[in-house]
Amino acid sequence: MGIPTTYNTEQELVLALKRRDNQAFSTLYDNYAGALYSIIKQIVTDNAELASDVLQEVFINIYRKIDTYDQTKGRLFTWMLNIARNASIDMLRSKGYQNSQKNQELPDNVYKSTGNQSIQLNVDNIGLKKVLEKLKPEHRILVELAYFKGFTHEEIAEMMSIPLGTVKTRIRNALLQLREYLQ
Amino acid sequence: MNIQEYIESGIIETYVLGLASPSESAEFERLCTQYPELVAARRKFEEGLEKHASTHAVQPPVGVKVKVLEAIGDTATGDTPQNVSLNPPKIVTMQNESKKGSSGWLRFVAAASVILLIGLAWFSYQFYNENSELQRSNTALRDKLSSSDSTLHKILDETVKNPNTTVVNMVGTKVAPKSSANIYWDSANSNVYLVVKNMPKLPNDKQYQLWAIIDGKSSPKDLGVFDATDDKVILKMNNTQKAQAFAITIEKKGGNPTPTLDSMQAMGKTLQTQ
Repeated sequence: MGIPTTYNTEQELVLALKRRDNQAFSTLYDNYAGALYSIIKQIVTDNAELASDVLQEVFINIYRKIDTYDQTKGRLFTWMLNIARNASIDMLRSKGYQNSQKNQELPDNVYKSTGNQSIQLNVDNIGLKKVLEKLKPEHRILVELAYFKGFTHEEIAEMMSIPLGTVKTRIRNALLQLREYLQ
Repeated sequence: MNIQEYIESGIIETYVLGLASPSESAEFERLCTQYPELVAARRKFEEGLEKHASTHAVQPPVGVKVKVLEAIGDTATGDTPQNVSLNPPKIVTMQNESKKGSSGWLRFVAAASVILLIGLAWFSYQFYNENSELQRSNTALRDKLSSSDSTLHKILDETVKNPNTTVVNMVGTKVAPKSSANIYWDSANSNVYLVVKNMPKLPNDKQYQLWAIIDGKSSPKDLGVFDATDDKVILKMNNTQKAQAFAITIEKKGGNPTPTLDSMQAMGKTLQTQ
């Protein structure tokens, strides 16, 4: 799965990447760019140009930071996914993105004004967001805010006026359901 | 510890998706070294996630790969030697039959000019090499300068130059009179930046933690932890919309949910009122 035929194991691929083997890097791009781009587009919605800028930045960062990847802490894809998510959330908070969203309401206001009913989110029915659709709404909104908008649990508790403990429990329960769907 | 319960608690998913707090991550990583079944469960979730993401891949625009490879190619092959085309010194065959008498002198001139030509070629080759070397390092320095410059401007724009930014000078308490730090706080977008000026080094199991003290709230808001070694850099801390004062305490590594107030190291008041 995902591993090119020229590299028999993920370990071989990682070793080649750490040697700064450009061929290995090109293979890595071919195998994972689509999966990472899908996640980026789910966070940086409505702006394909900025999403592809993020993808470019993510791969350059992967190349530069490959030495910090530690296989004992998780799979290569998990590491790259987190780089992609963090870069996307940084983009979300950057001036450039916010200017491009000027005419839309700030997410803050959207969540506050609509309360728990019929929350309007930019759910493009792709990837993980599609899985989210299957969760209960009160669970879905929390995962959306934490994973796709990058808010901390504390910020979410404040924003939604729910106790911090409840936020943590609901997010964990939601993620457990996510695991069921991914199996 | 009941590891099965821990596995079922949702911590694996929280950790893998990057939503765990630093202390939760540290605990998870520590337990992974002890319990192979925890690692196996983590792996299973990671593989499911990867498979799901691969099946829902979205083809990125074609230009991106080219740009990425160009960007990394510059760093990887920046020192490819350039082909130096040197005109080989021309050998002039002397016409021996012309004047026998002066052939010794002519031979000398010929030999001298060949040596001169070789010498000139060697010098120009050296200069050429030196010049391209200087050009390369010049370009590299210029790139580095412009990237540092833009990072600096970005930081300045977000903090110092931003009219919404309040600078809060935090001074040491009686316990730590020499401690000092500055907070750059943007009340419009709630961003909080911390610049450590002087904070004593702590034992390995301790960290500094920043708090926002908010009127009408019983406990201060956690703005994140940092180390004394983060000296001379600008740290982005957690956001806060409100703060009447900022305070720094010493807490266990990873931070505490509420501050240990008798370890308060520095404090600074903002001008914000309720």
